[in-house]
Amino acid sequence: MTALWLLFLSLGAAGVALCLARAAAGPTTPDRVVGVDGTVTISIALMVLLSSFFDRQIYMDVALVYAVLGFIGVLAVARYMERGV
Amino acid sequence: MIYIAILTVAMLIAGLAAYFFRDLIAAVVACAAVSLIASVLFYLLQAPDVAMAEAAIGAGLTTAIFVIAIRKTGRYEK
Repeated sequence: MTALWLLFLSLGAAGVALCLARAAAGPTTPDRVVGVDGTVTISIALMVLLSSFFDRQIYMDVALVYAVLGFIGVLAVARYMERGV
Repeated sequence: MIYIAILTVAMLIAGLAAYFFRDLIAAVVACAAVSLIASVLFYLLQAPDVAMAEAAIGAGLTTAIFVIAIRKTGRYEK
């Protein structure tokens, strides 16, 4: 069972690392935006997974708040790039 | 505890990127990355309420306000 948890968390950490590498290396600004947004999404999945791993309900609320509010920043940047806020 | 050190170094790199970017939109995105990593650190250090506040303020509010301010002024730093 522990090996399975380790596999899940390693896959999530690898996804976060790849998205952060894209955000760090991206030549244009939209690359960085999409990289950070992918990091946010995978982090939400990791938070839900860790909430189940630690067996604590309150940890799920952080993932919920982040999922509800995390898209606002990307939305603002996308609207700015398309035609202004 | 090695992952906390890795996350701290990533946060430092993102903060330096926010300082050195000439394109201010990219700097705002780097600032959002700093806020995200800080929230994950609070989560891992077992302070979920602080992580919730950091998520609400850092992810939603500051990025939108910075983008509105850049819209009113200028995108590129001289």
